[in-house]
Amino acid sequence: MRKVITGNVAVAYGAMLSDVQVVAAYPITPQTTIIEELATMQAEGLVDFDYIRVESEHSAMAACIGAEMGGARAFTATCGQGLFLMHEMLHYAAGARTPVVLANVNRAAAAPWSIWSDQTDSVSQRETGWIQLYCEGNQEVLDTTIMAFKIAERLRLPAMVVLDAFFLSHTSEPVDIPEKERVRDFLPPIDPGENWLDPDNPRTFGGITMNDAYMEFRWQIQRDMEKAKGIITEVHEDFAQAFGRTYRQVEEYRAQDTELVLVVSGTVASTARDAVDYLREKGKGVGMVKLKTLRPFPREEVIETLKGKKKVAVIDRNFSPGATGVWAQEVRSALYDLPEAQRPLIYGYVAGIGGRDISVKTIEEIYTKTLEDAEPDDVDMWVGVNYV
Amino acid sequence: MKYTDRRVSVPLCARSTTPGLVNKTGTWKFAEPHFVDLTSPCNQQCPAGEDITGYMYLVGQGKFEEAWNLIMEENPFPAIMGRVCFHTCEEQCNRNDHDESIAIHVVERFIGDYGLSKGLTVAPPEDEKDKKVAIVGAGPGGLSAAYQLRRMGYAVTIFDSNEKPGGMMRYGIPSYRLPKEILDAEIDRLSAMGVGFTMGVTAGKDISWDSLASEHDALFVAIGAWEEASLGIGGVDKGGVFNALAFLREINLGNTPEAGSKVVVIGGGNSAIDCARASRRLGAEVTIAYRRTEVEMPAHPEEVELAKEEGVQFLFLTAPKEIIGQRHIAGLTAEKMTLGEEDSSGRRRPVPTGEVFEIQCDGMIMAIGEGTKVEDLPSLISHKGGVVETDNMGHTAAPKFFAGGDIIDIPHTVTHAIGSGKRAAIAIDRFLEGEQCDEGSLDRFRWGEKGNVSLGRIKGTMLFPRRNPGSEVIGFKDMNTFYFDHRSRIRPQRIPLEERLQGFQEVIASPSKEEAVAEAQRCFICGSCTECGNCYIFCPECAIKSDPDGYGYIADMDYCKGCGICVYECPRGAMRMEVME
Repeated sequence: MRKVITGNVAVAYGAMLSDVQVVAAYPITPQTTIIEELATMQAEGLVDFDYIRVESEHSAMAACIGAEMGGARAFTATCGQGLFLMHEMLHYAAGARTPVVLANVNRAAAAPWSIWSDQTDSVSQRETGWIQLYCEGNQEVLDTTIMAFKIAERLRLPAMVVLDAFFLSHTSEPVDIPEKERVRDFLPPIDPGENWLDPDNPRTFGGITMNDAYMEFRWQIQRDMEKAKGIITEVHEDFAQAFGRTYRQVEEYRAQDTELVLVVSGTVASTARDAVDYLREKGKGVGMVKLKTLRPFPREEVIETLKGKKKVAVIDRNFSPGATGVWAQEVRSALYDLPEAQRPLIYGYVAGIGGRDISVKTIEEIYTKTLEDAEPDDVDMWVGVNYV
Repeated sequence: MKYTDRRVSVPLCARSTTPGLVNKTGTWKFAEPHFVDLTSPCNQQCPAGEDITGYMYLVGQGKFEEAWNLIMEENPFPAIMGRVCFHTCEEQCNRNDHDESIAIHVVERFIGDYGLSKGLTVAPPEDEKDKKVAIVGAGPGGLSAAYQLRRMGYAVTIFDSNEKPGGMMRYGIPSYRLPKEILDAEIDRLSAMGVGFTMGVTAGKDISWDSLASEHDALFVAIGAWEEASLGIGGVDKGGVFNALAFLREINLGNTPEAGSKVVVIGGGNSAIDCARASRRLGAEVTIAYRRTEVEMPAHPEEVELAKEEGVQFLFLTAPKEIIGQRHIAGLTAEKMTLGEEDSSGRRRPVPTGEVFEIQCDGMIMAIGEGTKVEDLPSLISHKGGVVETDNMGHTAAPKFFAGGDIIDIPHTVTHAIGSGKRAAIAIDRFLEGEQCDEGSLDRFRWGEKGNVSLGRIKGTMLFPRRNPGSEVIGFKDMNTFYFDHRSRIRPQRIPLEERLQGFQEVIASPSKEEAVAEAQRCFICGSCTECGNCYIFCPECAIKSDPDGYGYIADMDYCKGCGICVYECPRGAMRMEVME
């Protein structure tokens, strides 16, 4: 079935088709229509889950963790301030190895108050132990939501589906909606294994652990995040086989034959595709690399893709005050391992903060500056700021 | 070796190696939760001692027959009660502090009508006893005692001077409030149980008290209050002047007393309202003259409201002085009153102003209160001021004589009479079984400290399970009313005014099943466990468990660490923390 739907409705379809069993969520703009749509789907009998109304996002995540420990497939959605309030429980979900799936609609952080898009909320959760999957369009949102359950449950690590506020959440696009039976074939019922709540054999979970064992538990998270790179690729391949749509952790677009590439994520990727086409038509050598996963960071693939390039312009719709945009940090860190001859110059750009538009013209400006400057004039360059 | 190929010896998620049950967190506590069963204010208030919260719960669950049986433990007339009881229970209802009280009488009426429509009957006594009890007076007190004694297995005969049983319920209350079919149908259940009726016989006249006493093992005397108090003004012997009880008796016999076309009713009680509304139905213009104001009127406010709807006029601060006319009343003079100091009833006393005026009328009904006639009772039965002296259980000074209803020191209402009949039945049973029955011995079966005794609790009925009933009455502040939404109470339908004044058909309509269930579900069920499960859900230690004995929950003290969350979250105050020794 093909429908014209918003990104938020695509999330809801993804969760519905995945037969979620527990949804615990608190409404917040621009996430609200996700849980409204899910509530409607539940009311119409398209999916049968327990809907837990909670008093905060912190509780929403706590309820999802409890549901997962009880053996259920749990889902929640939030954005911005809601994700910040969840932060403590995000760590807990990973530590407790509960494969909760969370859709985060990227919303800029207050103060000043904003409901528009940037990635500061999700990149701020980089160290929580969550898999983070960024989406470019509404089809990718729906498909990623379904894949997120499979990835998370195989690894028993929680996964975050990330989509830009309004650019995706409230913008409609044609989306192919798979049949539920085919999704069921792709995504088996959750298997909680042996490690979870059993009323007949009550145990304490996640209780205080001494320094002779704590490190081992945390090491396993790191090990499994490393394994996740392979598993995400496998799930992408399974999905392509089942539904004919291909996704990659690192996707190149007209980037193989150029010395200068743009590295982007989220909806900026679709603008960058247009910018690349436009510049190529004018005879300029430029390509694009889209990164889908922030965690685990696909270090090896990034190295393989960017080695030997002369210049790499990373566009961050986020920033880490006192350092640089987060994607730029990641790319720099990965490429440092290359021998100097193969190591490109990294130009870090921060753009589109708080929903400011990143247009083809913005990207052309970034391209031009990267091309013309022999080396980056600063570690972090902000584009589109109205200086006086 | 790559570290992703390495392993460690811990599971994915940290968990205790031994089951949590070894950690008896119960040892931490200094206070423990207890499940209690407190008395609701309505149950304490009910003069008949009904388990109101119990039947509200049952109706809310759709268990109508169980609800009927629960009322029938205490009161044989739910359909009558739902119509004529002035439901002071509703004034005490904790829900008044939330939004509006439960319309208890509406639900009771539904249960009563349900019992009648389904032809529900009372189980015959398990054992017939070889003792006989005479009941003198077939009013609500006598019928109540007869019903309860018959259920206990006694041979019961009722003696009454009227043609038909019911007492004031038949001869005092007009049928637009209590249709005769309802009255007959509920009394018929007593006949079907084997209660004997000897009607048209006046004790002390047609049959001597001595022979009654010699032929029976115990007697219950409930002859009621049928004497109209005198107004003490000139002209009351003129034509067109009635006393209320005589007037209402005529109405209830289906006659049309010649009370005139412009009627003044003197008095401010329920009888005055009954006379006024009945006169309106006979086509008269009616004015109620009362010597205080509406605030002091003893009549039930809803009755006053209905009378006003039906066009009854009110003259307040008006005391009659003299009746005018030759042989027939042509009017009366009255004196304007003012309100003075409070009297012993707490109401402001009417004080004459000296201002006299005339009221035109051709009929007058005196409804200033009824009195008893107890002088002709056996001499051993002591009385003072027209009131037979009894203890709380109905024992009189005379051996084997018990008394109840309007002749003893209780308010003159149908419900109080029924309550007194039940208490006397318990006392008679104990007397005939040779057991002591002082007032205190039944306190643990009483609703609260001030309420009536519950026969259901004495018998241990579990129609609504009560586990540890206590005498403490629960207040609004003792509950967690966060759990209750706000909904207004049911307002029963009334038939249109034009239809009302054309005859004596019932004014207030019965509720539908859905309405009754919805109203019952508004009830907080104050003080009692309804198995809502809040304690079970909230307990962080999973120490609250279903009671293996059946109803409700228990706290597993091995694991309860005394946090008190269950007690706090109990919506109806049916749990309590107690500090341990």
